[in-house]
Amino acid sequence: MDSTFALLMQGFAVAGTSENLMIALVGCFLGTIVGLLPGLGPINGVAILLPIAFAMKLPPESALILLCAVYAGCEYGGRISAILINVPGDAGAVMTTMDGYPMAKKGLAGPALSISALASFCGALLATIGIVLFAPLLAEWAIAFGPAEYFVLMVLALCCLGGLVGDSLPKAAIACLVGLLLSTVGIDSNSGVYRYTFDALHLQDGIPFIVIVIGLFAVSEVMLMLQQVHAGIEPISISGRLMFNLKEFLAVKWTLLRCSLAGFFIGVLPGAGATIASAMCYASERRMAGKDSDFGKGDVRGVAAPEAANNASANGSLVPMLTLGVPGSGTTAVMMGALTLYNITPGPTLFQDQPVIVWGLIASLFIANVMLLVLNIPLIRVFVKFLSIPNWLLVPGVAAISMVGVYAVHGNTFDLVLGTVIGGIGYLLRVMNFPIAPFILGFVLGDMMEQNLRRALSISNGEVGVLFGSPIAIGLWVAAIAMLAGPRLMKMREKRAAAAFG
Amino acid sequence: MSERILGGILLFVSVIGIWLARSFEVTISYEPVGPRAFPITVLILLGISAIALMFEKKSDTVWAPPAVLLRIGALFLVVLAYAWLFDKLGFILATSLMVIPAARFFGASWRQGIVGGVGLGAGLFVLFDRLLDVALPTGLWLNSFLG
Repeated sequence: MDSTFALLMQGFAVAGTSENLMIALVGCFLGTIVGLLPGLGPINGVAILLPIAFAMKLPPESALILLCAVYAGCEYGGRISAILINVPGDAGAVMTTMDGYPMAKKGLAGPALSISALASFCGALLATIGIVLFAPLLAEWAIAFGPAEYFVLMVLALCCLGGLVGDSLPKAAIACLVGLLLSTVGIDSNSGVYRYTFDALHLQDGIPFIVIVIGLFAVSEVMLMLQQVHAGIEPISISGRLMFNLKEFLAVKWTLLRCSLAGFFIGVLPGAGATIASAMCYASERRMAGKDSDFGKGDVRGVAAPEAANNASANGSLVPMLTLGVPGSGTTAVMMGALTLYNITPGPTLFQDQPVIVWGLIASLFIANVMLLVLNIPLIRVFVKFLSIPNWLLVPGVAAISMVGVYAVHGNTFDLVLGTVIGGIGYLLRVMNFPIAPFILGFVLGDMMEQNLRRALSISNGEVGVLFGSPIAIGLWVAAIAMLAGPRLMKMREKRAAAAFG
Repeated sequence: MSERILGGILLFVSVIGIWLARSFEVTISYEPVGPRAFPITVLILLGISAIALMFEKKSDTVWAPPAVLLRIGALFLVVLAYAWLFDKLGFILATSLMVIPAARFFGASWRQGIVGGVGLGAGLFVLFDRLLDVALPTGLWLNSFLG
């Protein structure tokens, strides 16, 4: 415990340098803006800024602080458009529209925004404390994992994400598998064999991670935005008081605590993310409030619950990435890709090998959330102005900035063209409802999965039984199958039950 | 229907991929699992999933109406041309030329598009190249002016 505290203080020393504080502030500001713009969410923000951070030659801890601040800021920003124009700025804010918009229509936009900022802060703060308490323990436990267990753990992560997103199992499986397949392109590091390079010089080192990320989260996003043009909706203007009053605060205090804790634990589980956490917490708070509540018509608790859960789970989902090196969501997968750009291998040893990075990042989460709370309450009118950026300026801007990032890292237009083509294919697949998160996770994990599989089988001299050899491995296999099949079986049973009654 | 076609394409990809993987051979190997096993396993699973996709009954794909789809295709080509001309024309000119049609697709007037294009091209260049130290191509034709 003492050592955790000492390490955390060391982290604050890293995150508290004037340069890193500045970076966190810029990240918070940019993140809030990206979050509030409908159509752009945390994954787009992180994806677009990742190559730019790398190109600016930021040291790894500063780059991660920037990305985490953007990530945290997006979760704050999403609620602004949810409350003021009834359009969630990112997927996690869908539930915030349910009570936030009615509150704003009643003239309570100010209190709705400030209470949701407080809820966001509360969720993020409790979750960050949760990271400090649990992450080192989990990392210590995971150090005992051999390559076989590690391989199965990655299978579990893919199954969790594949099982929970989207409706169609074949589509989720295909997304994972194509990601894994693309990760094998390039020279095999063990044997030097060229795989699927088709004699193209540019593909020898594999398909660059940045190119994939920009293609999927910038180019295809731009095309989707043209498809879902939002007619210019006028945001509700903020009149009257900005701050919530004591009565409103007392009404939500237990909601905040419950939803923050629940959100954190949902976030830690791979696969389940902010969207699921906020939906579950909203539903359970609504049930607990009873029939005579104002839920759905502008209840403060209905604004606080999803926001606390949303932010808590966003921070919670950093736990598996930091401790196991196995991200549980699309956004954390992109962040992990950022670590690999700096030649840092995430995994259970990260806490021991890179204490500066890990604890600097955790400390920066505390700092970023305080900044975000301070930015979000008094400066709310400034952020609202960004809602009126017209799409005709925003979309080409996004395209240009993402190309800047890719060009700055690799310095050739081959990657830009490749990224655009990947984006075009990505657009088609997204219209067909292929989930993107399993794909990006597969691509990020592919190489580590293959390496661990080969190492495990080298140790056992090719005996496949080693993958089922330990109780941990067997437990992980069972969990993987349950996660893949479970949610769909439950859905099918619900449907059958509904059909029987109907 | 879209699912059937894609399933067919993916099945074809997996068969070709497995066929290509046959040549991933090493003369001297120090480990029991070579470079072939992992891609082939993934491709076999991909093939099975592709068949499952073809036999899935419901389809939830909703394509945009043809007029919108045409505009999206045109936007894709504009971005593709932008990617290709990025260093040939230089950032400022290429960006301006990309923004004008892209802005038009999103409902801007010609005036807005041209002002926005030149503004974004020059503004982002100053921001990244001059302030943030992220080097951008100036294009051969501008090098003589900007050094």
